[in-house]
This record gives sequence, structure tokens and C-alpha cells, in this order.
Amino acid sequence: MGNEPIENAVLVIPCSGIGKVHGLISREATYLVTDELAPGQTDTLCLALLVKGDPEAVEAVRSHACITIDGCAKACAEKNVAMAGGRVAKAIQVAEAFKNHRGAKPGSATALTDDGWIVTREIADSVACEAARLHACEEVIR
Amino acid sequence: MSAEITKVGIIACSGEAIPEGTISRLATRRVLELLRPNATVTLCLPLFLAGNEAERNFAKTHPTITIDGCEKQCAKWGTEEHSGPVSSALVVTGILGTRAAGCHRSSRDSSQPDKEAVWTVAERIAAEVDSVLAESGPRDDAAAGSSGAQCSCSSPTAGGKLTIRGATVSIPGLPLIFELCADRNIPADTSGCAALLDAVKIYHRVLPEEEAGYRSALLAAYQDFRSGARPMK
Repeated sequence: MGNEPIENAVLVIPCSGIGKVHGLISREATYLVTDELAPGQTDTLCLALLVKGDPEAVEAVRSHACITIDGCAKACAEKNVAMAGGRVAKAIQVAEAFKNHRGAKPGSATALTDDGWIVTREIADSVACEAARLHACEEVIR
Repeated sequence: MSAEITKVGIIACSGEAIPEGTISRLATRRVLELLRPNATVTLCLPLFLAGNEAERNFAKTHPTITIDGCEKQCAKWGTEEHSGPVSSALVVTGILGTRAAGCHRSSRDSSQPDKEAVWTVAERIAAEVDSVLAESGPRDDAAAGSSGAQCSCSSPTAGGKLTIRGATVSIPGLPLIFELCADRNIPADTSGCAALLDAVKIYHRVLPEEEAGYRSALLAAYQDFRSGARPMK
């Protein structure tokens, strides 16, 4: 997307985590949702635009339901959306997904292993389900 | 800020919505892990709003280079607004021009243009790091990075070890260099020796009198890498 999200889309906003594999998982899960599982129903947004205070990005998170995916407990995506006045319909922590995958070796900050892709796809499925629920309940736009 | 005890900070926009954001992030990692592992640190840009005071002081405690995906320059703007002035501001589209057009956001779709774009931008960042360090004066590597916030995972990537005339030599990021060589179809036989050595010399100092030893050791390690043995890790 540019700055204007798809009409009626749920915004899926990953963190910008650059130091650990968890940030990469958050982004790849987002792309699975927006490009494969729920294209047209979901879209994404650069988190950096909210840091900058870009008016169109701020308006987008205020007018669309948002699902945030954070790599770590600092929860940058969730916090930045909330600080911009956006509505976080669901906040996901990548680390939570690992509770069912103890011992998994997901990869690095730059590349996922097969284990990493399994966790990524589970998160993406969860996000796609939530986006479908939001559409069904007409909670997408406020 | 004391230039003698700090590393250069690199802040990538990470723009999640555009391929250039992915390039900015991967190029930053390449510099941190391979090109300038002992001279650089990073921080997630959104931590300037979501983090604590130490994280907001990042640009005050490190000479900082921002690397943005597009002309909106969120990383530069956000760093200067919330943390401090930057030493240099790079933009991926300015470095790559139209070459970014064939690149992708997701690693699932990554292809040769993506890899070449990351290398090009990473080498540009590394040159900028050198320039900032030259302006800052001498550094104390032992003390570097001892102040301020930094990403917990910005330690150098595992290097490769070669035995050259009986001595063990460590080359940071050798597997990544071999990966690049393989992508560029450098053959794993004697006809590829010169190209292999040239690639390594970009990142690792090799004296002229050492070149013959490096050529044979690099070729043997590269052949192992291509065959899947990868003993250098």
C-alpha cells in the first residue's frame, strides 16, 4: 500500500524489530495475511509513519480496526498505534506462539527456518481468523 | 557524546509496507553482522516512542546514520524529533534508483535483484560508517558500545575459520560472502580463485604476500560450502 489503506480493510501492523527473529516473524506473518490469506480484507502500514506522526497514517489507524503483531514485550506496534489514537482490536505477541513450540529453532533476524515458518503461519492463521471475525461483526470501520 | 567510546548507530526505517523498507533492514543487519561488526549498533525506530529514556538518548550517545526506504524519511525525522540530530541520512531509493522496482517485501519472494539491492545498500552504509568514524577521530574498540541503549542482538555474526600456512584466520561473515559468491555463479574450482579472493578482500585485509595462501584455503572452504559441508561455521 501507499498511505491510504484498502477501504474497509483491517490493518495488520507488525513491529519493526531488527534485532531478533521475532520481529521478522511478525512481518512475514503480516505478509502472509495481506498477500495470501486475506488479501482485500486486510492491509498493512509502515510503523515508522506513526513514529513520524504522518497525518494519513494516523487517520488510517484511527479509522480502521488494527491488529498488531509485536516481536517482544516492549510492544512497539501496539503502543504506537494506541499513542496515535488508533483502536487495537487484537494485540499479538510472537513470543506467545512459541509456548506450543518449545525447543523450536526459528532462525535469525534475517532468515526463517522451517520451524520459523511453522510458527509464522500459525500466527498468520490467527490474524486472518480475527480479521474475518471483525468483518463479520462489521467492526472494521468506526 | 564521546567519539572515543561510542559506536556508530544505524537506524533503519524498516518500512513494513514497502520493499525498500525490507532492504533498509536487511542492509543494516548486513553491516552489523558482516561489514562493520565492531563499529556499529542499532535500535528499533519505534522504540523512540514506546521505549525508555536510555533508548530515546540513542542519537545523543551515538553518532547516528539513518537509512530510510523512501523520501518520507521517517527514520531521519523520527530520530531527530525524538532522540537527537543524525550524522548522515541515506535513502534506499536514492541509492538504488529504479533497481528497487523489482524487489519484494517478503523473504518468500526474495530473488537475485533483492540480494543485489541489499549488498549495494549495505556497502553504501558501510562507507558512510567509515566516513562518520573518520570525522569522529580515533576509537577505543575495547570500550566501544559501553554507553546507551542498543539492540540486544547486534553482536557480530559467526565467522569462518581458515587455516593458512599453519595459522588459523577468522573471517567475519565468511558464509555470507560465500553465499554471495554462489549467487554470482563464481565457480568452485581454480577458475574462481581470483574472484573469491577479490570478494573476501572487500571485507577482510589480505596482504599481497598472503594472497597465494588465501587462494587455496578459500577455494577449499568454498568447495565445502557449495557441497553443503560448510565447515567454516
